[in-house]
Amino acid sequence: MQFVRRIISKCAIPLATLLLILSMQAGMASAATKAATTLQSAAKSLSQANDINASAAFLRQLQRAGKLASSVHVLSSLGQTTIVQFALVPSGIKQAFPNATGLVTIVRGDRNNAFSDTTIVDVQHMPPNITFTIFYIELANKPFGNVEYVADLTTRGDGSGETIFQNIAFVAFAMDARNPGTSTDGQEGITSGINLEHMGMWFSSLQAAQKVLNNPSLQGTLFDAGNPPLHAGPQAMTDGQTLPVF
Amino acid sequence: MSLKRVFKAQWLLATVMLLGLLVSACTTSSTPSTTNSNTPGTNTGGGPAFPTSPLALRTPSFGQQEAPTVKVLSSADPTVIVQFTLTPASIKALFPNATALVTVIEGNPAVSDFDTVIVDAQNMPPNQKFTVFFTELSAKPFGHAEYVGDVITRGDGSAESIFHLIALGAFAADNRAPTVTSTDQTGEASGIQLEHVGMWFDGVRAARQVLNNPNIPGTPFDGGAGALHAGPQAMTDGQTQPVI
Repeated sequence: MQFVRRIISKCAIPLATLLLILSMQAGMASAATKAATTLQSAAKSLSQANDINASAAFLRQLQRAGKLASSVHVLSSLGQTTIVQFALVPSGIKQAFPNATGLVTIVRGDRNNAFSDTTIVDVQHMPPNITFTIFYIELANKPFGNVEYVADLTTRGDGSGETIFQNIAFVAFAMDARNPGTSTDGQEGITSGINLEHMGMWFSSLQAAQKVLNNPSLQGTLFDAGNPPLHAGPQAMTDGQTLPVF
Repeated sequence: MSLKRVFKAQWLLATVMLLGLLVSACTTSSTPSTTNSNTPGTNTGGGPAFPTSPLALRTPSFGQQEAPTVKVLSSADPTVIVQFTLTPASIKALFPNATALVTVIEGNPAVSDFDTVIVDAQNMPPNQKFTVFFTELSAKPFGHAEYVGDVITRGDGSAESIFHLIALGAFAADNRAPTVTSTDQTGEASGIQLEHVGMWFDGVRAARQVLNNPNIPGTPFDGGAGALHAGPQAMTDGQTQPVI
C-alpha cells in the first residue's frame, strides 16, 4: 500500500500532465471534426446555391423556346454572373478568307453592382494587318438597322487579333429621346428604344477593303466614325443569326 | 622551400586576376549608362534601354468646336486627354454641391481599340444607381442617345466608374438611311454625333423617393425590362457646344 502511495505521490505531477495532454488532444480532435463537418455542410449548401444560376437558366430556357439564337452557348457560371459565347462567321470576306473565325464572349456581372458588361472578341485567319470596327446592331444582316460603334480590332500579320472592352452589351439599345418608342428585348421583354442584339465587324477603311478583297467597285459604308462620311468598308464578320445573340 | 614560393606566387596571381575581373566588370556595366545619358532609347549593350529625357508634351487644339468647360490636357502625341465637369440637373435643389469630373482618354487613333472614360462623382444622392449616356444634346429633348454604363454611389455620395468604348467618335446611325451626316471635330462624318454626357436615375421610383416628388415621370434612360422605367437626368455637362 505504501508502495502504491509512494508511486502516486512521486508520479502525481507527470500523470496529471499526461491526462491533461490526452484530454486536450481529444478535445482538439473533436473540435476539428466539428469544424470539418461545418465546413463540409457550408460548402455543400454553397454549392447547392451556386448550382442554380437563375440568369443562365433563364437564357437556356429562352434558347429552348426558340427566342435566343442556337449559335449562343450559355456557359456554366456562378450565380449573379452570366457568360455567353457565340461565333462570328465571314460575310464580306467569305470568298477570300473562308476560314476566318471569331469568338465573342460576353460576361455580365452582378446586375445590381456591376458598372458595365465585358466583351471579348477573338478572331483568327482574318485579313492580316487590317483595322476592323465592331458594332452592336439591330439586325445581323443588311440593312443592319440602328447601330452602335463599340470598338476596333486590328489584326496581326497572321490574321489573328483580339480586343476587350467594357460597356453596356446585354441591354444595349438605340433611341432618339424625342421619340424613344419601345421594342421587345429577347431577354427583358418590352424595353425603351430599339434593342441592339447582334454584332458585326466592318473594314474601317473602304480603300483597305477594296485592296484586300481585290474589288475596286466596293461601296463605302457608315461603319466607322470621323471624316469623311461613308469611308468604311463592307461587313467582314457577322453573327449571322435572325434570333438575338445577346 | 621552392614549392612554398611557387604556391605563394600562384595565390598572388589568382588574387590579381580576380581583382582584374572585378574592375573590368564594373567598367563594362558603367559604360552604357554614360553612352545613353544623352540618347534616349538607344540600346548599345543588347539589354533594355530606357528613355532618359522627358517626353515632349503637346496640347492639341480643337479650335472653336469644344465647349469652354472642356480642358484639353497636355499629353504625349498622339494621345488626347480631355476633362470636363458635370453639374447637377434635376438634383440641383436637393444636392447643389453634387459634382462629377469626366476624363476621356483617346489612345493612338491608328492602333487603339477604344477610348477610356472615367466618371468620378462627389456629393451625389447616396446609395443610388445612375446610368451614363452619350447624348446628341446636353439638355432636353437630348436627341439620340447611347447607353454607356452605370455609376453607383456610396453612402457618402461618392462614386467612380471606368468604361472602355468609342467615346470621341461616338455616333448614332440607322443604316437604312446611311447618307445622314453631321459635323464632329474631324469635319463631316456619318450619322448623328453624340458629343455630350449625362447621368440619369436608373429607376423612376428611386428618383421620386430621393427627390421627394411622386409626380416625376419615367424616362427611357436605362436598358432592360419596362419601358420608361428610368428617372430624370441627375447630372449634365450643360453645354451647347460639344464636350467630347
